[in-house]
Amino acid sequence: MSVLNNSRPAVDGATSDLLMDLHVKYIQALDTKKNDLEYWLTEHLRVNGLYWGATALHILGKPEALDQDQIVEYLVKCQHENGGFGGHIDHDPHILSTLSAVQVLITYDRLDAINVDKVVDYIVSLQNEDGSFSGDSWGETDTRFIFCAINCLSLLKRLDDKRLNLKKTIDYIVQCRNFDGGFGSSPGGESHAAQVYVCVGTLTILNALHHVDADQLGWWLSERQLKNGGLNGRPEKLEDVCYSWWVLSSLSMLKRAHWIDANKLTQFILEAQDSETGGIADRSGNIPDVFHTNFGICGLSLLRYPGLVPVDPVYCMPRHVIQRIGLTDKH
Amino acid sequence: MEGRHGQKKEKVESPELLKARQDREAVLVREYCSLKDSLKNIMNSKKRDNDALRVTTLLLRKSPDYYTIWNVRRIILQEGFLDKADDEAVDKIYNGELEFVQENLKLNPKSYWMWNHRRWCLEHMKQPHWDRELAMVSKFLELDARNFHGWDYRRYIIRQLDLKDRNATERVLERAQSEFDFTAKKISQNFSNYSAWHNRSTLLIKLSQDMTEEERQAAADNEFDLIKNAIYTDPEDQSAWLYDLWLIGKEERSISVLGATVISFHPLEVVVAFDETVKLCNPFTVSTMLDHVAVPLQGEWKATGSDSSMGSIWIFQQAPGAEYGPTVEIVIFPDDVCGVRSGSRLTSAVCFEAETLEQDFSNISGRLNRLAIGQNLMCDVSKRIGPVPEPDGTMETQRTKSKFLVTSLTTSNSLKDRVTLLDREIAVVRELMELEPDSKWPIQILSTLLSELRETVSIHSAQAKTIDDECIELQEKLISIDPLRQERYEDRRTQLVFDRETLHLIKDSKRFPEIEFADEQPKDLDLSMRGLTHIPISSYLMHLHTLNLDSNAITSTRFLRNLLNVRHLNLSNNLIEQLEGLQHAPSLEFLLLENNMIAKWEDVVAGFVFWHEGKLGRTGAQVKVLLGGNPVVENEGGEYVLEKRWEDVGEVGVEIQWKTEELRLQEEALMGAEGPVGVGNTHADGSRRVSTTTVEFDAGTSH
Repeated sequence: MSVLNNSRPAVDGATSDLLMDLHVKYIQALDTKKNDLEYWLTEHLRVNGLYWGATALHILGKPEALDQDQIVEYLVKCQHENGGFGGHIDHDPHILSTLSAVQVLITYDRLDAINVDKVVDYIVSLQNEDGSFSGDSWGETDTRFIFCAINCLSLLKRLDDKRLNLKKTIDYIVQCRNFDGGFGSSPGGESHAAQVYVCVGTLTILNALHHVDADQLGWWLSERQLKNGGLNGRPEKLEDVCYSWWVLSSLSMLKRAHWIDANKLTQFILEAQDSETGGIADRSGNIPDVFHTNFGICGLSLLRYPGLVPVDPVYCMPRHVIQRIGLTDKH
Repeated sequence: MEGRHGQKKEKVESPELLKARQDREAVLVREYCSLKDSLKNIMNSKKRDNDALRVTTLLLRKSPDYYTIWNVRRIILQEGFLDKADDEAVDKIYNGELEFVQENLKLNPKSYWMWNHRRWCLEHMKQPHWDRELAMVSKFLELDARNFHGWDYRRYIIRQLDLKDRNATERVLERAQSEFDFTAKKISQNFSNYSAWHNRSTLLIKLSQDMTEEERQAAADNEFDLIKNAIYTDPEDQSAWLYDLWLIGKEERSISVLGATVISFHPLEVVVAFDETVKLCNPFTVSTMLDHVAVPLQGEWKATGSDSSMGSIWIFQQAPGAEYGPTVEIVIFPDDVCGVRSGSRLTSAVCFEAETLEQDFSNISGRLNRLAIGQNLMCDVSKRIGPVPEPDGTMETQRTKSKFLVTSLTTSNSLKDRVTLLDREIAVVRELMELEPDSKWPIQILSTLLSELRETVSIHSAQAKTIDDECIELQEKLISIDPLRQERYEDRRTQLVFDRETLHLIKDSKRFPEIEFADEQPKDLDLSMRGLTHIPISSYLMHLHTLNLDSNAITSTRFLRNLLNVRHLNLSNNLIEQLEGLQHAPSLEFLLLENNMIAKWEDVVAGFVFWHEGKLGRTGAQVKVLLGGNPVVENEGGEYVLEKRWEDVGEVGVEIQWKTEELRLQEEALMGAEGPVGVGNTHADGSRRVSTTTVEFDAGTSH
């Protein structure tokens, strides 16, 4: 449970409100934009997009806004013989889209529609000798993929699979820890808030958070907040709505979410809304997309914005879903 | 990174312009979709020729993150070209790929898949030109000095080159030096290049490994000069400050065992208190003398609280049927615990011996974690002995001052060197603060350095007191100049104030810098109106009977898990939204919680029940809780006072009763007559009950 005391956002008259209905419409309309080149150029992100859209809708309290049967039918078509899911039908399997697919199916409580054993086989096959995980059979490694794998196995309650070596996974994550207490994409890689999220998330799920110096990392994370309330991902970089999630969820796991100014961050996210089309952009005045819409809304949920469904800071799914499957001891 | 970044939204177009744009876009969509169709045909027909390759080229130019096409392209290259080519031709093909990637990287410098394809090529080439790659990435980092793909790729190239030279240490070191110089160049171009500072930290560790003590000193001084240059240029730029903190390093924190006490003889229960939350790696060894032979005593160690795998207070309970003799010995080896704060550890074994025969057991009964025990709960029957043999039989040598963490440059076993370094750097920061009194970085670094200096002196020394007082002042200054992070400074301030206010509960151990419980433990402690946001080390408070925390800013009651002896607790006028941890405060009788933020009955009930081995449990004691001024009282239309009694109302229900203001006043008068201890005995017989409600408690939401 986060420790955001005194942080109920000030949403009085002078400031903007969350345009909930407009965001629901924005997400519902995403699959109708077939005349836009962008729709086709982002095809490889379709399964991820479904996760972002469905999660945002659940957090907005509108779980029925998308056709569940149609989604499940589509996702089933994205699963490959080896168990992994591609980013779209006929796209190659990858851990990124596999996690998204499993997250959506669990959110809708439709895991029955797929072969879970095969998903587990696929993920287990991606573990490397050093404990890390590759993104797919081509071998690229990154701490993001470790989190996807561990997160997915945890959601499927299969972290006890005898073929895994989780001790090595923890050792590998520890090797990615830097001089500033943060984590990078691989050993020696610079600290980055999104990589901090995946590493702290992995350690949280694996009950190994004692490898993190919470005061030092909490300090570094809280210094991501800029004067305008927005958060950046690294020192001396620009603010971006998606870091509302990466930074705030990490701080939540470290029990230090109150170390930044919640009201100012709330305002920053609200200002990045597109009041014409709905949706949230990376920052005020830019074009919205479903990625930033989801992480903006989930960030607001962590900030306890009134009227939103609580989100789980580790899994980035509705908290009631995580409770339903019995994973509430993690934080 | 996914989604759009930095794409400005354009002004609303006129209908004509919109139409024209849509027409243009429709053409592009048709083109793209027909390319995709061709790709599908290629995949189905297993064509692996130039035409097939060209389709992937065109598609990737339009959609560089369409990862499946990169995979297809590699298959086409492998099966259609590489498998048939000789060595020379192979490298030519790969070089063509490198050019293709390079051309696209200029447009999409943040595409993971492209960098990935580049690595694939190089790893399959017979003669990869790593030096050429290094030149390429240097150029790339000139265009964008913070691109982390570029830096990652640079480190990758160096690793590959080092791998080739794995038998030529000199060449590897030379290369590290040259990379180190590269970071200096980048930093001199822009002090805010955090990517360069980061890389410098990893290289410095590598380079310093073979340095003599003098060389290390010189290298460290060189770094401090560079930092000084940077912080004087822009005192608000965090890059150099974070590097500075790392270079000075943190002293390794040693975990202290504050004490151990027998709290029950039937069954035998022993409490061990630590000065921080620890995880148990191996159960502590408990042995007893039976017929003049030391034998292990079977039993279980558990931390207090709902998460029994982690805590600062650990309770051993003897297994049913296990026998113990006249003495019981407990040994905690360094490997048995690990600190939850990263880097802290127990530096040497600690041993306790309890005499178990000469005690008067008559007053002691019951089980601590279930039931409140009568008075004199803590019988002081244990004493510390040491040093003890390590498991392999060798005697542990007297510990010297602990090593310093993280940096390799300032690591030293000499306390004097450490103090000299800290004094010097503190002076540098103070000097800068005079020029920039309202800059927050010098202030927070000064506070951190002062705290490090405090680690080198006794907690009861005058210097420690001066440091604490100054650090508290610095936090207050930070709160005023950096309101965004106000609560972080308040948390730090809380730690400092708490340390100061509990100084009399602990003393220096013989094993400096460790600490232990003071010999005399007061029964009461008043910490009201101290601005506390939390209780930093609740194990310090283990012996207290009465604790006053009125008018602070405390948000959580989790610390109650360690207040084994507290009977009377005042938490009125705080920021508590939910009760937690009460089920493990077995002696609690009276809890003042007025004027907090508790809004729901469930959040009251959650404090008293716990989920244990698949069953809902609850404390057996009766606790009186005053809840006036909380939203819950108004929300439920109830009265000012809540009295909570444990009735047998089934496994998942707790009966809650509350009373009228009139009754409360009557009882307060009674309380005045009997003193606080009598409060727990007030009765709520049937006639006094004004209203009753039963709250269904969902165990799933509590933990």
